[in-house]
Amino acid sequence: MPRLLRINMSTREAKYEDVPEKYLPLGGRALTSQIVCDEVPPACHPLREFNKLVIAPGLLSGTTAPSSGRLSFGGKSPLTGGIKEANAGGICSQKIASLGLKAIVVEGMPKEQGTWIAKVSPDGTEIIAADDLAGKGTYELTAILRERYGSKVGVICNGPAGEMMLAGAGVASNDGEGNSSRYAGRGGLGAVLGSKRLKAIVIDSPATYGVPVHDKEKFSVAAKKFAKILLDHPVSGTGLPSYGTNVLMNVISEAGTLPVRNFSNNGRFEHANEIGGESLARIAKERKGGRVAHACHPGCVIRCSNAYPMPDGRICSPVEYETAWGFGANLEIKSLDTIAELNYICNDVGLDTIEAGVALGVLMEAGAIPFGDDAAAIAALNEVGKGTPAGRILGNGADFVGKAYSVTRVATVKGQGIPAYDPRACKGMGVTYATSPMGADHTAGYAVTANILKVGGFVDPLKAEGQIELSRNLQVATAAIDASGLCLFVAFPVLDNPDGLPTIVEMLNAQYDLTLTTDDVLALGKSMLKSELAFNEGAGFTKAADRLPEFFCTDKLAPHNTVFDISDAELDSVFRT
Amino acid sequence: MFIELRVYTGLEKYLGISHGEKMAVAFDGDTTIRDILGRYNIPAVEVTAALVNGLHKTLDYCLQDGDRVSLFPPVGGG
Repeated sequence: MPRLLRINMSTREAKYEDVPEKYLPLGGRALTSQIVCDEVPPACHPLREFNKLVIAPGLLSGTTAPSSGRLSFGGKSPLTGGIKEANAGGICSQKIASLGLKAIVVEGMPKEQGTWIAKVSPDGTEIIAADDLAGKGTYELTAILRERYGSKVGVICNGPAGEMMLAGAGVASNDGEGNSSRYAGRGGLGAVLGSKRLKAIVIDSPATYGVPVHDKEKFSVAAKKFAKILLDHPVSGTGLPSYGTNVLMNVISEAGTLPVRNFSNNGRFEHANEIGGESLARIAKERKGGRVAHACHPGCVIRCSNAYPMPDGRICSPVEYETAWGFGANLEIKSLDTIAELNYICNDVGLDTIEAGVALGVLMEAGAIPFGDDAAAIAALNEVGKGTPAGRILGNGADFVGKAYSVTRVATVKGQGIPAYDPRACKGMGVTYATSPMGADHTAGYAVTANILKVGGFVDPLKAEGQIELSRNLQVATAAIDASGLCLFVAFPVLDNPDGLPTIVEMLNAQYDLTLTTDDVLALGKSMLKSELAFNEGAGFTKAADRLPEFFCTDKLAPHNTVFDISDAELDSVFRT
Repeated sequence: MFIELRVYTGLEKYLGISHGEKMAVAFDGDTTIRDILGRYNIPAVEVTAALVNGLHKTLDYCLQDGDRVSLFPPVGGG
């Protein structure tokens, strides 16, 4: 039977528990959100002892299901003040699941000063004083811990931004090469880990595919079928491995929905092509150490990751679309080398790249540094790790910068920075930003699929019609995928191929000896959202939080000259059914 | 009459230009996007998104002078 591991930082004790029956069918976001709903008072301070950081592998993680290595992190967000789940790839999910752990719950808070790490292995869990590791960047920290405990360990950790409890801090984990670049970035969960003074959790598991499967033969048939579905689809089988996620830069710009210069009124960036996936892939092939078609965890058949060689020989792996947008078009920076440098700083200091990009855009809007000034952007971001007042302002996210400089053009919802799709010309995405319990989060219901990419049908991105239903359906399906441990990119084939979702259900049924239907899986998604919304209500959220910033409704975006015009009543109807 | 044509994400191999490079393409009278694909031997099946001035159009769209046409194979990410 799988167990729950509780790491109590008040007492520095680790305790294993049997998994309560009601948690057995849950995994990933379904489990992190349920435990947060059950154990964290919604009105608690996110950086004090009553908040918890819950870490849960998805339901299929640790099996041979393709692309199933997503690890969910949940808690009350210091950035949004609501419930948060952020998930990441990397090697830790499969290892945690293979240790027989359904979840790790980090709880309590030390009364004493100090820094600790936890080491989780088949022999148990040790909590070890680690003052020598305080303040370390994640790259050095991960290298030290791999040296100390073996090169195959997974390392979940915090950079200085998390230790300083800045609201833009993410939680890092590593890929197979030891890059601490796999981020559960959004919502400031790194600050929650920092509040517990747990610098790192080392996952030492001899197995990657060690999770028991009830009917191995049926599972194997379904897993092979699912791999074929992923590989046969042109997006997951060809586009993503060839160019990575940054393949989006040009199409989003050409469609006129790329936020440029801190969400100005222009939806196209004239230098998009210079920072897009095609240019990135060319540089990765030309320079030593570069790679495309890189897998972030064993068994991923999509392999959308890349390794970008920086001019001084360091590798930033990967450079993703939202990061290239946040530090590129959003700041009017046209150099992939600068984008990679800013990305690397975030990875090392422990910041979410999207929040940092949006925050830097607001800083530029304020005139504190100029748009398009590469050196000034790098210098400003470097202040975060130093803990200077300017660095702390930036590291606390876009809203915080906006307040500090009295900027009113701040693209956030529930305090979280809006990512790389302008909601005025991709209105389905605007509905998701406004209504997701996670705050502005493109992954919560990725309407770009039907609005721009023509995957899963087509809904005109400039019109209000159809966006509510599109966003609602995607938010429900996404919640279910986030429970499975599958990478969200399986959604591209699943939306187009009617065999996709039934095959996921076949894998779950074979693994757990269940008789689930696709309706059951979607019902799980609905029920997860309901719990998350109830948590947010308890935390004090009202309908007023489900709105986009005012300027999106008043300032027209070129070239289509549209505003976000979906009414409040329509937004309020998203979760009424 | 001319259009501004840009192709991306592998389609550039059919035109012998770089991805995203602006190419002025002359045309007369009733010419569709499909006609342009035929002229350059770009297989229609490889074009998922044909954006004209930022709007999705079918391959049977009749080109207008000055149109900005951008062609993409299936792409996704996020």
